[in-house]
Amino acid sequence: MKRFIIIFFVALIIIAIGGTTYQKYYRTSRCAYDGSIVPPIYEVKIYLKDGTEKKFCSIYCAVSWFNPNIEKVEKVIVRDEIRGTEISSEVAYFVESELVTNEANDNRIHVFQQRPDAMEHMKRFNGDYVENPFYKE
Amino acid sequence: MLEHGQTSSPKRLASPPIGLVDLSMPPSLMIINVYTFIMLFAAAVSLVIGAIILPLSYKLVTNWEKENNSEMKGRLERTGYLVLLIACVILAVRMASWPFFYFTLRSYVPEVPGAMCMFGVTQIFPHTVWFLQIIKPIAFFAMGGWFLLYYIDNQTNTSPLAVRKFALLAVISIVILADSIGDLYYFIRMKPLMTVSCCATFYDIPVRASAMIPRAVLGGHYEKNLLPVYYTTNLTLISLLAYMLWQGIVGLNTLWKKVAISVAITLGAINALVVILSFFEVISPRLMQLPYHHCMYCFIGNGLVPDAPIILGLFILGTYGIGWILLLTLICRGYAEKDIEVIVDGTLKRLLGFSILCLLGAVLMVSTHLIIL
Repeated sequence: MKRFIIIFFVALIIIAIGGTTYQKYYRTSRCAYDGSIVPPIYEVKIYLKDGTEKKFCSIYCAVSWFNPNIEKVEKVIVRDEIRGTEISSEVAYFVESELVTNEANDNRIHVFQQRPDAMEHMKRFNGDYVENPFYKE
Repeated sequence: MLEHGQTSSPKRLASPPIGLVDLSMPPSLMIINVYTFIMLFAAAVSLVIGAIILPLSYKLVTNWEKENNSEMKGRLERTGYLVLLIACVILAVRMASWPFFYFTLRSYVPEVPGAMCMFGVTQIFPHTVWFLQIIKPIAFFAMGGWFLLYYIDNQTNTSPLAVRKFALLAVISIVILADSIGDLYYFIRMKPLMTVSCCATFYDIPVRASAMIPRAVLGGHYEKNLLPVYYTTNLTLISLLAYMLWQGIVGLNTLWKKVAISVAITLGAINALVVILSFFEVISPRLMQLPYHHCMYCFIGNGLVPDAPIILGLFILGTYGIGWILLLTLICRGYAEKDIEVIVDGTLKRLLGFSILCLLGAVLMVSTHLIIL
């Protein structure tokens, strides 16, 4: 009986260590707010003052994480929807329109590097400019 | 600027509002995959067999002790064996259908627009899903208790618990019928014709129920206190159960034993509440490495914590073990025969050990995760 109990607990500890090892080293990168898969075109990266970075699947998730952690944030990098280039949130154009980027959280905020792209999107999808949601004073 | 927990402007809706039928999407009969087929097959078989077992069990209960004619008694016993044989198979299938129900919901996630995890799937026919999510654990508990009663009765020579065994089977048959009808209704009618919301918009809002209760009891900084409370209640319960096992304080015959079981049941119920709140608020966000995400569906079904189903399974079995001790104590009371008392006491002691192992295992796995991550 003692042997069974020892094997039982050792097996559980091995399973738990295996689980954490998978989480640490093998799990694909997921949204740091809700754990969903990050579509590359809508990816938002938040760089922290401690040198680490967090990835998010949408502006909604990034803002939801950003607001309570604003003090820790060094910079926010967003991705231009047209070209896929990474740009600082400070120079990006944010447009809210009828086009949903993520049905799960109903995110309708889009990111553009260039003003003509933003204007074209606004015209096609009944959108309007919104202020930088990652604004830091 | 968006506030925490808010979606962007609700005025501009290109897609239909959440939960409403989107007529622009192609019509579909139902979601068909291997999980659906297995669930429907199990539910249909359970429905038919449950409908057979219910009247037979009732007949056995009412006639078992009345019948004096040896030939009639023999026929009744043969019917009884057949019913027990069928019941064992179908009860095992229904018990397995509880975890399998979540596998099936998980398999529907890619089919439902807007669903990120099982939560999204549960937004379609939410009342039916809630009914199933409540009846399945109740059915699992009742069926587990019946198997233990069957085991105890089989150990005796005269089968003194037969009437109670068939009475409990008749009650369980009603639960099986309700569960099977619910499964058939849900999986046949389940269509991905809705746009559903993300779990984050429901579980991560500041006024969620799982946060309000500990905040009211433990104050504003409840997150810091909830984990020590989790360890305190778990270790107290495990210590009590271990003491009961060590001293042999389990059984039917003395008031002291009944008091001990009552205390264990009360502490088990408190512990269950604390563990559920702790998992929602502290443990699952930490284990998933998503500190603001409190969705248990993501915790068990999204592969973020691969061993999460084992952790929760151990906790459920450990807690059910204490409940089964109470159930067996209540069902087997009133029998003063020495052989039954010995068998019941032995089974209850084994159940105590089982509960201790499961609860301690769950705590150990959570602790391993918290230490390493």
